[in-house]
Amino acid sequence: MTGHHHLTEAERHGAADGTLAPDVASEVVEHLGACDVCATDVARLKSLMTRIREVPATLVVDGEDLWPSIRARIEQEKVAPLRDAPHLGASSRRYGSWLVGLAIAASLIVVAVLARRGPTRAAPAVDGTTSSGQFTAVAESTRVYEEQARFLLNELELRRALMRPESAASADHELQVIDGAIAELKRAIERDPNNMALRALLASSYKQKVDLLKRINNAG
Amino acid sequence: MGMNARPRSVVDLPSATTGDLDDVVRRAQQGDVDAFEHLYRVHSPAVYALCRRMVGDERESLDLVQDVFVRIWQRLPTFRGQSALGTWIHRLAVNVVLEQLRSAKREALRFLDDADDTLLPARTSEHHLDAAMDLDHALEQLPAGARSVFVLHDIHGYSHDEIAEMTGIAPGTARAQLWRARRALSRLLDQ
Repeated sequence: MTGHHHLTEAERHGAADGTLAPDVASEVVEHLGACDVCATDVARLKSLMTRIREVPATLVVDGEDLWPSIRARIEQEKVAPLRDAPHLGASSRRYGSWLVGLAIAASLIVVAVLARRGPTRAAPAVDGTTSSGQFTAVAESTRVYEEQARFLLNELELRRALMRPESAASADHELQVIDGAIAELKRAIERDPNNMALRALLASSYKQKVDLLKRINNAG
Repeated sequence: MGMNARPRSVVDLPSATTGDLDDVVRRAQQGDVDAFEHLYRVHSPAVYALCRRMVGDERESLDLVQDVFVRIWQRLPTFRGQSALGTWIHRLAVNVVLEQLRSAKREALRFLDDADDTLLPARTSEHHLDAAMDLDHALEQLPAGARSVFVLHDIHGYSHDEIAEMTGIAPGTARAQLWRARRALSRLLDQ
């Protein structure tokens, strides 16, 4: 090593960052004392090591607060399970009613909590499109579910004559609960139009209404 | 742990007492978004630094910071306090970034055994680097694979074996990527 051969790449990096195995360290040191080429190269790498140690562990995001977008995503996640409520067959209708009630109650609690916090500032878009994109997507979901619900309601009216009175009454009651929640959400959105969570809840509530109507129509 | 025994905790916690922070963590685990915002404020600079250095792109790193904190929110109930929260967040952030790098399947992410030095920035003046370019800017010039290994090893102190486990590459490959990254950085910073 101290002869004509230069240090290997591994030995140079090991010498620079102090990770040489003890059994080769002394030979490497000896070589560095005799070889200017390797000594210069290791010195350059050591200089880099010094700069690395000075790198700050934190960086500040310039002029952009990511929190509103993160919060919107978190709030949206909270309502995701409501959207994914399982399709319920006729045999589990009682469970379905209970689930709808629970989901609506949860929605109303969220509405109440959000309303107490006061109006939400418009979430600054991360890339200029993310925030508006989320709003557009949720608004589109709401519109689609609303249309589906309207169609299914018409279908329900046609089938009503064939339904047993107690089934019709039960269906009407469940629809009233959901419609009450939807009305409450719409009022809350009027007060706080930038609140992404409320808008997501509204879409979720319409989805529940569609699921309920499908269930009723299929059962009928 | 690699050559510099820098603590892996992503942040040196500010002056709040451990008890206060424990309470904040507990509340966040129970779904308190305001408490979680506090954790975000404390830890986001370190998470941003990690993302920024790992991916080398400002816009992408900002998106990743959001992904990381959404993931933290989802996983926070599983945090049992065996490690410092900062360490737990850091490891989770590394995983999110590596997932992103893998899913992007970007050409530049050469975790494979390639020895193609054309991937590394040339020593010529093509890059028109400012003489005062700092390390963070120089990092941006590296291929993703070499940059990731360098950040994990030389800045955050992971060993080659740990990096190999996290990234799925061989320890020898990690070592080679590190050396190439150091050479490229050294050239860039010397210009």
